[in-house]
Amino acid sequence: MSSVRQEWGSLTDQEVVLLARSGQETAYRELIRRYERPVFALLFRMVRDRELAEDLAQETFVKALNAIESYRPEFKFSSWIFKIGNNAAIDHLRRRELDTLSLDGSPHAETPEAMQATALQIGARQESPLDTVEAKELGGAIEAAIGALRPEYRSCILLRHVEGRPYEEIAEILNLPLGTVKTYIHRARNELREALAHLKE
Amino acid sequence: MTRPPGTHLSPDEIDSWLSGTLAREWQQHLDQCQSCLERARAERDIVDQISALPRLGPAAGFADHVMAAVAVPDPFAIRSLQATRRRLFATRRSLAVAASLTLLLLGSMAGSVAWSLAHQETIASLGNWLLSESGQFAWLSLRGLASNLIEQPWYSSIRSLLENPIRLAVGSALASAVYFGGVLVLRRLLALPTQQVAHAGI
Repeated sequence: MSSVRQEWGSLTDQEVVLLARSGQETAYRELIRRYERPVFALLFRMVRDRELAEDLAQETFVKALNAIESYRPEFKFSSWIFKIGNNAAIDHLRRRELDTLSLDGSPHAETPEAMQATALQIGARQESPLDTVEAKELGGAIEAAIGALRPEYRSCILLRHVEGRPYEEIAEILNLPLGTVKTYIHRARNELREALAHLKE
Repeated sequence: MTRPPGTHLSPDEIDSWLSGTLAREWQQHLDQCQSCLERARAERDIVDQISALPRLGPAAGFADHVMAAVAVPDPFAIRSLQATRRRLFATRRSLAVAASLTLLLLGSMAGSVAWSLAHQETIASLGNWLLSESGQFAWLSLRGLASNLIEQPWYSSIRSLLENPIRLAVGSALASAVYFGGVLVLRRLLALPTQQVAHAGI
């Protein structure tokens, strides 16, 4: 088993993709093994919900592996899979933002409490007890501060400092100019520093 | 170092410092400038905290769930396709034959489309003729079948049976009994055994 793992380890992502394209199921599994943790970790920190992150990660891999023929080997496989994952997370966050937007509460609400419960919610969403448990699982103040960043900043900072991706690759993944990526990362670090300084006080 | 000396470190230079690639001139500035040093250290502190975040992973069986929804291409089909492609491009002659066949196929398709467009009336009249001829043929076949049936020796006895309601009822009841009897026998034959069956080797 370990020798098989060693054999796979000597292959580049592009070579594994070629084997997958030739119909080798083990090559598909190798691609999943290589990227399940980084993709899941990015998605978990983007959506802050384990179950949802698993669903999105699954959706990401299914989409990528079913379209393996359309992958162009001149680009990094990691960029491709992170791009699909990040798009899935951003789409989900946008949908959730639309779902929580209601101006004066539900027209069917009969009591003031019900009106208040369904009224306009802007800004950070309230964390449920489950969210609190997951925030604990995620870690301490730094996780909470990352969770409060704008999604674009969050993607940039996670790809740069958790996944260790170079600026150029982040620009490719997020489809942004290189300068914008650098600006986002600097702004994100500033926001994190301010948030953590506030907590220290 | 393109900016005049005396200015503070830009975010890009702080990045270079974080990755250990800061130019010597800026390093000297950093050694002397308390403000830049504090900024750089604060940045490093944040980066260290982010980099130390735990590496999370999905639940066990994640790969199986993914693979259940992935369509892995059939290696045999791919191999035969690749072999065909290799054979096709193996020599100039095989490529020329393939190109000629493709041209012939495409040419005949294009010719047939062009002819159809130019002779729409002929096609319509041919269609009408075929429709009327096939209708006539179907009607003649039906009539022939009916007359053959009437001429059969058992036809009169079946007809007399259908004319008497009592005989018809008895005949139907008998046929139904035979049918349901057959269904019951089949059910018994196809029923799963209810007795416990030992599994060998488990």
